Amino acid sequence: MLTTAEEPRAGTKEMIIDADVHPWINGDIKGLQKYLSRTWWEHFDGRYVLPNHYLRPPLARASSNRLDAMPPSGGEPGSDPVFMKEDHLDRHNISHAILSSIQAGKLAAIPTPNEAIALATAFNEYFLNEFITVDDRYKLAMVVAAHDPFAAAEEIRRIGNLPSVVAVFMPLLNTMMGNRHYYPIYEAAEELGLPILIHPTGTEGGFPTAVTFAGGIPSTYIERHTLFPEIGISAITSMIFEGVFYRFPRLKLLAAEFGITWLPHFLWRMDQNWHQFRKEVPWVKTKPSDTVIEHIRFTSQPIEEPERPEYLDQMLEMIQAEKTLLFSTDYPHWDNDFPMQTLTRLSPEKRRRIFFDNAADLFGLK
Amino acid sequence: MASHLVTTLEVLEEAKPSVHTVEGRSIGIIKSKGEIYAVRNVCPHKRAPVCQGQLRGTMLPSAPNTFVFGMENEVLRCPWHGWEFNLTTGETICDGLSKKLTFFPVTIKDGAVYVEI
Repeated sequence: MLTTAEEPRAGTKEMIIDADVHPWINGDIKGLQKYLSRTWWEHFDGRYVLPNHYLRPPLARASSNRLDAMPPSGGEPGSDPVFMKEDHLDRHNISHAILSSIQAGKLAAIPTPNEAIALATAFNEYFLNEFITVDDRYKLAMVVAAHDPFAAAEEIRRIGNLPSVVAVFMPLLNTMMGNRHYYPIYEAAEELGLPILIHPTGTEGGFPTAVTFAGGIPSTYIERHTLFPEIGISAITSMIFEGVFYRFPRLKLLAAEFGITWLPHFLWRMDQNWHQFRKEVPWVKTKPSDTVIEHIRFTSQPIEEPERPEYLDQMLEMIQAEKTLLFSTDYPHWDNDFPMQTLTRLSPEKRRRIFFDNAADLFGLK
Repeated sequence: MASHLVTTLEVLEEAKPSVHTVEGRSIGIIKSKGEIYAVRNVCPHKRAPVCQGQLRGTMLPSAPNTFVFGMENEVLRCPWHGWEFNLTTGETICDGLSKKLTFFPVTIKDGAVYVEI
């Protein structure tokens, strides 16, 4: 029995792609056993828990997962694909849900490349077999362990041509995204027409191998969560000025859940600096903001809530949201946004672009 | 428009802008590769004294992670924000902006440099 407050609006047939949905595997590595070889299972030998950042959300069970999204079958929210289908896809009229596993994002906290690579493959096999087969509205952002970019590229070529695989989720390490370390991954993603997806993984600033926050170490969850945009800004800055999109001209990036209203400042600042320091990066031949608008997309959740809604309208105009923004819910996390309460002031044309077309273009969906 | 004697070829150094006041205006006279330029000494970006910057070359647009030096003594670099201007066109090396250097006509007569203002 579904009991959440929002019910679909009668007669609503709006096409919606949700660019940010999070499945879960109960038991971490234990839950992956079926998709690990006997040798790997023996290797982990009881080490089945993926690490959690010390600064937990000050919410029920110190978890990001909604209490009311727990499946009747037991286990964590997001772990039962049938329940998630009913509780989210059916209820919210979702045509396609892009699955990215934040649990798999914890691979960024693992200092052992061999383990991270093996677990990435196991995660991908789990979701392909346990979720995609349940409902073809599920689409997978396959995970890679960027610790070893050649192994990651191999994994992309192994499954990246499956119709259900629509993106490459790359948990961020403490090497900036423009660094040539990642080029084998970008090369493979470009070859297969898959966008790279980045997303906060919960490991930021908590583990030596994971991406770090600017300024130092946050001391509370509220600081950690507030600072997520820093990570997106750092990643994009690095990719733009290292010339990644000149080297890989068909590559796209989806920056999910990093916010959006910092973008006007960031675009203007990059352009300003380009006029001042272009000779340092002469391969950047056009305005950085043009490259961002052409190659990078952003997800809407958690949509900012200014005191006057027209402020957000202006921001959306500044970032060319009709081209750059993809609707997302972040189901089943505490701060999820649902279609009927999100971006309700858009024109029908803009809403269609943000809620469907932009994602369809990026992921090659219909 | 009147013609004003500003300097002589003899004292101009190659690629070393010299700044003069003509009719109350600050003007840079620049000798580069056989040409003499008279440039309004005001950067179109934020009104810095652009002719007190350097005339030099720059890194040409190139493939990622490669550097190609060129345009030697053809690029006027503002001393404030480092904006680079193509001395022969007045345009910024970064394209896409309407902000350009302002030039004044120059005539040379018997080794003397005249600027039309």
